[in-house]
Amino acid sequence: MSQRTVNHWLIHHAARHAPEILAERLEEEWLSDLQARTSSLSRLRFAIGCFWATQVIAWEHQPSRAAVASTTAAGSGVVAYADQNFSFISLKSSTFFLVVSLHIVLIYGFMTAISHTHKSAVPDPLQNRDLPASPPLEQPPPLPGPTLKTWTIDVPRPVVNVPPEPIPGDAITGNVVEKPAEPTSPPAQTHVVKQVVGGTGAGFPDTADFYPSQSIRLGEQGISTVQVCVDAKGRLISDPTTVKGSGSARLDEGALKLARAGSGHYRAATEDGQPVSSCYPLGIRFQLKN
Amino acid sequence: MGKKDANIRMSLQTLRVLEAFLENPTEQLSGADVHQRCRIASGTLYPILLRLESAGWFVSQWESIDPSSAGRPRRRLYRLTSTGLRRASEVFASFNRGVLA
Repeated sequence: MSQRTVNHWLIHHAARHAPEILAERLEEEWLSDLQARTSSLSRLRFAIGCFWATQVIAWEHQPSRAAVASTTAAGSGVVAYADQNFSFISLKSSTFFLVVSLHIVLIYGFMTAISHTHKSAVPDPLQNRDLPASPPLEQPPPLPGPTLKTWTIDVPRPVVNVPPEPIPGDAITGNVVEKPAEPTSPPAQTHVVKQVVGGTGAGFPDTADFYPSQSIRLGEQGISTVQVCVDAKGRLISDPTTVKGSGSARLDEGALKLARAGSGHYRAATEDGQPVSSCYPLGIRFQLKN
Repeated sequence: MGKKDANIRMSLQTLRVLEAFLENPTEQLSGADVHQRCRIASGTLYPILLRLESAGWFVSQWESIDPSSAGRPRRRLYRLTSTGLRRASEVFASFNRGVLA
């Protein structure tokens, strides 16, 4: 059904509800004026307005209303300016009621759809039902156990001939241990000089005080051997040098600092009981305590 | 439509319709013409036109054309009567005085 048909249908039915004497005239007049409207929406509004205009006209042309309408409102002229005659249903009101009706229909449709969906989602009431006893489950066959094979490897025991090497320092306490005196060659002369290698004396600094903090965090341990030259009074006569590193530059540097700090606290080597200047290796062990 | 009474109750929309006719009292206007000038909805406009015609302020007649040759239906044209012109002028004159008579 096209909109033109709808408009004509509305106007036709509107005119049918008008007083009989006006019906044909109003229908022809409205159909003529309908063509003056340009837009389709304007035509539709016009047709709807004609429908409501008919209601007003019919209401005013009732015999009782006609008598009232023909009376003067006031003897002195214009009195009432309220649109009382035909404002009870205006186009705005009709549009408002139409919009409200559409909303009601939409809301009703939504509610109906939701209730239908909700109803289908509700599960059936719970029913107790005795299930037949299930047959006992068959025990699965035992899995084959793992097969362990024993391998015998004959490793020849290596024969290592290592000359005993003196361990400098105490590995547990971190104290510096003197290197044992090397065996002296048999005296070529008749006079035998008794030599005692020097070492650390009283007041020598503690190794823990020179343990590099970063090495402690990294868990670095090792033995650093430094060469010290000490005079007869136990003082360094030259800067100590590293002769065998520990594998950590930090530990080697800590060992050198310890050797320098110990100047004056070395025990000088002796020859025939007399302290003499000498150089000897000093092993310094850095080991972390649990 | 007989002319029953020259007195009619006014409304804002009625005044606007009368104002459109008073611009050229001799001019004949259809409902569509009045709508274009006043922008009054059809549900309000046609009852006013009929009411004023019934009161004798307007007269109406069909447009004197041949719809088949013109290609459109004939229009219903409204025109102010001498009574309508006088009464409408009195109404607007009362507004100009600022006091409702």
